[in-house]
Amino acid sequence: MKILVAEDDQLMIKMLEFRLKKDGHDVVITNDGRAAVQKLDDFQPDLVITDIMMPYLSGLEVVSAVKKRYPTGTPVIILSGMGQENVVLEAFQLGADDYMTKPFSPNELSVRVRRFEAPLVK
Amino acid sequence: MSWQTFILHFFTYGILLYSIILLICYVLIGAFSISETRSYLHKNSFTDYRMLASSTETPSMSILAPAYNEGANIIENVRSLLSLHYNNLEVIIINDGSKDDSLEKLIRAYDLYKVDFFVNQQIKTKPVRGVYKSYNPVYRKLIVVDKVNGGKADALNVGVNIAKNDYFVCIDVDCVLEQDSLLKLAKPFLESTNQRVIAAGGVVRIANSCEIEGGRLVKVNLPKQFLPRIQTLEYIRAFLLSRMAWTKLNGLLLISGAFGAFDREIVINCGGYNTNTVGEDMELVVRMRRYMEERDEPYKVAFIPDPLCWTEAPSTFKILGRQRNRWTRGTIETLRFHKVMLFNPRYGILGMLSYPYWLFFEFMAPIIEFFGTIGMIIYCFTYAVNWSAIMIIVGVLCMGILYSIFAIMMEVLTYNQYRGRKDILRLVGVAILEPFVFHPFVVWSAIRGNIDLLRKHNSWGEMTRTGLATEKKAS
Amino acid sequence: MVSKAYLLSVFSIWHIQNIVLAGIILLILGLLVYMLSYMYFKSVYDKKFDKWSLISDLLIRKAVFYDDEEESEGDSAIPVTARAEKLMDNKHFRKLLINEIMSAKRSITGISADNLKHLYVQLGLDKYALGNLSSGRWYIRAKAIQELTIMSMHEFVDQLCLYADDKNDLVRMEAQSALIQFNGFDGLHFLDTVTYPISNWQQIKLLQQLSHLPPANIDMTQWFKSDNSSVIIFTLKLARIYQRFDLYYDIVSCLDHPDPLVRYEAIHCLNEIYTDETSDDFISRFLGEILKNQLAMIKVMETVGTEKDVLFLLDLLNHENDEIKIGAARALVQSNKDGMVSLEKYSKESNDSINEIVMHIKGEVAA
Repeated sequence: MKILVAEDDQLMIKMLEFRLKKDGHDVVITNDGRAAVQKLDDFQPDLVITDIMMPYLSGLEVVSAVKKRYPTGTPVIILSGMGQENVVLEAFQLGADDYMTKPFSPNELSVRVRRFEAPLVK
Repeated sequence: MSWQTFILHFFTYGILLYSIILLICYVLIGAFSISETRSYLHKNSFTDYRMLASSTETPSMSILAPAYNEGANIIENVRSLLSLHYNNLEVIIINDGSKDDSLEKLIRAYDLYKVDFFVNQQIKTKPVRGVYKSYNPVYRKLIVVDKVNGGKADALNVGVNIAKNDYFVCIDVDCVLEQDSLLKLAKPFLESTNQRVIAAGGVVRIANSCEIEGGRLVKVNLPKQFLPRIQTLEYIRAFLLSRMAWTKLNGLLLISGAFGAFDREIVINCGGYNTNTVGEDMELVVRMRRYMEERDEPYKVAFIPDPLCWTEAPSTFKILGRQRNRWTRGTIETLRFHKVMLFNPRYGILGMLSYPYWLFFEFMAPIIEFFGTIGMIIYCFTYAVNWSAIMIIVGVLCMGILYSIFAIMMEVLTYNQYRGRKDILRLVGVAILEPFVFHPFVVWSAIRGNIDLLRKHNSWGEMTRTGLATEKKAS
Repeated sequence: MVSKAYLLSVFSIWHIQNIVLAGIILLILGLLVYMLSYMYFKSVYDKKFDKWSLISDLLIRKAVFYDDEEESEGDSAIPVTARAEKLMDNKHFRKLLINEIMSAKRSITGISADNLKHLYVQLGLDKYALGNLSSGRWYIRAKAIQELTIMSMHEFVDQLCLYADDKNDLVRMEAQSALIQFNGFDGLHFLDTVTYPISNWQQIKLLQQLSHLPPANIDMTQWFKSDNSSVIIFTLKLARIYQRFDLYYDIVSCLDHPDPLVRYEAIHCLNEIYTDETSDDFISRFLGEILKNQLAMIKVMETVGTEKDVLFLLDLLNHENDEIKIGAARALVQSNKDGMVSLEKYSKESNDSINEIVMHIKGEVAA
């Protein structure tokens, strides 16, 4: 599966990249929201994993950009340190498909990612 | 004793005394700054700002950004304000009667519509023409206010009236902020337990020659042009040494108008920004402090040494001269409004230390320097070259250079924004050149400010009086 | 006479000046040399640091993904290269490694996080932290407490709790966090005895830590009686967030506390925990309150207000303060389904400024 990651923390990037590649995914990393949105057309990801607090564009804006471009497909998982109710609700309202808060478990992420893979296999 | 010898003595001893006091001030500022910076850095190493970003209990903040004819970059600047890391935030852009298409651009870019809005005139301002919000939920933090032109202080007052939150942060719309700057600025308000923090200021740095992209700082560079470069040194000195030291003493009088946070309740109780001075940023802080002193409430003005805000510095002598002229007038007006505080023990540190320092060193230094130099030159030409006085002047110059180099060292040891030995050596070079090239110009601009103010006094005496009247009412 | 004295004085000034001047110039040179050599050594160290951070990255990655690499069980050691092992004696490398382990531990949970702790203990880093607990410098003590907390070293909790009322604020804060981290809600019992004020910052931090734990019904009544205002404020926050309806009367009693900040927090708290009588409790105290708390009360009336409060709120529309007027109008509309009707009826009979306020409120409701 082609996964686009938007995250600005270097340590998180390393861990995400390592884990997802190990699971056999094709991973592209972007360091901010704007770069992620720019990469969309180029990379045509099957899944987007994004942080919320990022330079240029926030993760919420990434969600709405992805959903505008691919109204049916391309799920978005939010992986953020912000767990406040209003933020989570807003994320889902904008069309996010899943929400994980940091600190996160890499194993759990791996399983959640796989969930979105299933329809493709069929 | 003949009058010549009297003048000679007056000059030599006078200048000597002044330089000794100045030297003591420098040494004390250096020492206080070291101690305050150390303790800040130690404390800060325990801080996890992500924790604040992800909490629901953070104090609410409003950003107030007055804009006048900023159409060229306003869309991008607003976007970068909206992407700041802070949960409990509203961003209020005040269009101060711009003559360009700023408002139309904003309406189009952010999908705005005019709302029915009752502006509570807690502070009297020029009329508001309309308040706009966005249809798009992503921009729910954004409020755009359109008002009749009334200057920066008036625009900020409108913002204060409209803001709903506990604290407001005033910024220049063209400033570039670090993403976590609000989190850092919020911290002092939360930390203090026995004193009420009424305002917090941040460091302003020079953005000339830095790489900026989409309203965000990408790479820090030392300015290539001479004037901005010298101002870089000046800002390091002012922020890292002087303001840090005054914070240690809780005697800080100035929070830069380009970036500072204030307790909204107290600002409203004080009557908001004063529209009758060009130094509204300093005047407000002084008035807030005075208000707290008069009510005998324990308070504090905090200051954060992290580089949080980057701004374009004037790069021509003309604009720089105008800026310094304005600063001088602002200082004098503020000092005049609050002259009761001078050496008045009722005002504590504020009256006994901060105010006198500003009077004798910030306001009088250029005047003393100016007349001292002229007097020296005249004396040397008419009588004899007075070597001992010249030596004192050389000593003062060297002291200034020493102080600058100490500031550069503090920068290297703390935030070290200008990596690379070349840049630091360039700064040292600038420190040595400054007293000869840049400083005389600054002194001259300050003198011009004094002259302009005296003239204004004669022609606009009426207006100055009303200024004082509102002042009394406010305090 | 005059000229002699004059000569003397000039001579002595001349002399002192030379010494002072030479001193200043020496100082300038000294500072320059110090700064440049500092930069030189720093650049040397930076290069070393880059190398070291690669080593520590590798170590951490190995630890984080340890279990799925080699399906080995439980206690086996995480492989550490000889080079890393040797570097462990270097204080600077240790500091770098600890910082990286801690920031990794902060952002992940589950087995991977356990593995990080495993690595931390295996390298004996906990021993150093324990030693630092008795350091003379507060920031070293505080750092040690923070480190042991983040690395979840449960075994040291008894030692850490000694610092929960330390006179240094950061040591105290870290120790309080440690107690919550290890003992959950029971850790809050430091509130029984804490004498120093708990800053808002610290309260936010503790609440944040608690939010990751399953809620527990602990006894909080005695904290309402604390002499420490910040303890009462914190307790009110806990009551609000964890919806402790059983504490209703304790909360109402805080409305009469001498500290206005406590009263403010109590008003805020009643927004979540209220009964039919809450608005009466507000109304009876309204006139005696400071403006800020009056505004807070009106704000909370939006939730707790009922039909019987309509008259009170309508009356406030005559208040001299516009802020109160707006708040009262909003509360009218929000707390009653007929609120808008009575508000409009009222505005027809009165002046313009009320009209503007009504428009404002209508706009808000529509949005």
